[in-house]
Amino acid sequence: MGKNNFWSPYIAGVGLGLTLLATFVITGWGLGASSAFSLLSGVGFGKIDPEYAHKLKYFAQYLNVEAPLLNWVLFEIGGLFLGALAASIASRNFKLRFDRPAHMGNTARLLTAFGGGILIGFASRLARGCTSGVALSGGAQLALAGWIFVISMFAAGYLGAAFSRRLWS
Amino acid sequence: MTAPFVFSQSTGLLFAIILGFFFGLFLERGGLGDPHKLTGVFYFTDFAVPKAMFTAILVGATGLYLLSDLRLLDMSRVWIVPTFFWPQIVGGGLFGLGFLISGYCPGTAVAGFASGRIDALVTMIGIVAGSLVFGIIYQDVEAFYMSSQMGGALLPEVLGLPHWIVMVLVFAMAGGMFYLMERHERKHAGMA
Repeated sequence: MGKNNFWSPYIAGVGLGLTLLATFVITGWGLGASSAFSLLSGVGFGKIDPEYAHKLKYFAQYLNVEAPLLNWVLFEIGGLFLGALAASIASRNFKLRFDRPAHMGNTARLLTAFGGGILIGFASRLARGCTSGVALSGGAQLALAGWIFVISMFAAGYLGAAFSRRLWS
Repeated sequence: MTAPFVFSQSTGLLFAIILGFFFGLFLERGGLGDPHKLTGVFYFTDFAVPKAMFTAILVGATGLYLLSDLRLLDMSRVWIVPTFFWPQIVGGGLFGLGFLISGYCPGTAVAGFASGRIDALVTMIGIVAGSLVFGIIYQDVEAFYMSSQMGGALLPEVLGLPHWIVMVLVFAMAGGMFYLMERHERKHAGMA
């Protein structure tokens, strides 16, 4: 592939900001992402081992409601998938692939993709959200939560990158 | 009638799909479904993430506080992201490491998968697994999870400054960052 036809990140940022603003105006809350994954883990675990899952305090928020899957963020993530799919097809950027850093094998990439995901899933619960729900939405509200999350995220990312120079670059 | 508006659940979910559609469209078009671009910020090779993220924050914050000052939006009915200081510092740090290792965050993993990246699907499965781990060990981390609560703390209150002064500071900070990023990218053009 090499070259891509992505938009300027500033243009994309304006679009993201207007989408976020519209979400505040229409619903009274911001955009989210990680809670949809948490919801799926709770509901899924509730199907696999209902007895154990119902004993878990954190999953009560998903298992003690009538229709947990009729969830705003879950539907928003469905829309996100469709929007990104439409954009990548329309711009001829859609391509089935196992994307990995230049010098990394497929097994190692499987481990970094999965292991990094586990860290993200756990960290998002601890922080009460991710780059969408805390950083973007909280940041735009000028909420302290958003700004401390962003600072800590970049600080850890740079620290980690300094110790793994060849991971991605 | 002032925003935010109240809708039935089905109308709300319809808006969720529409707003999510644009969210995904702009993420993908900004290159934020591509793990090489997403992690470039950590290696000083590509600043698409902070450029898009802080532009979105500036646009969102300006619009939100403008509508509130014009009395077109009732800020007291907007759900403010709550602050739990130390859990969000530690959570943010672990998140940054997960982001660096996997090359994605939750929303961008979905955008990456939607543009055909199977590794992004693996990360999505990992995120579900990590959430499950949290749910299972929740009792052990609950005390920390609930610690250092500050409610819906806002920077203008915390700093004791009017919100437009805070906005000017945020604009100045972002503008300075954008300038340095552009200068760095120009200097290293073709080297990455």
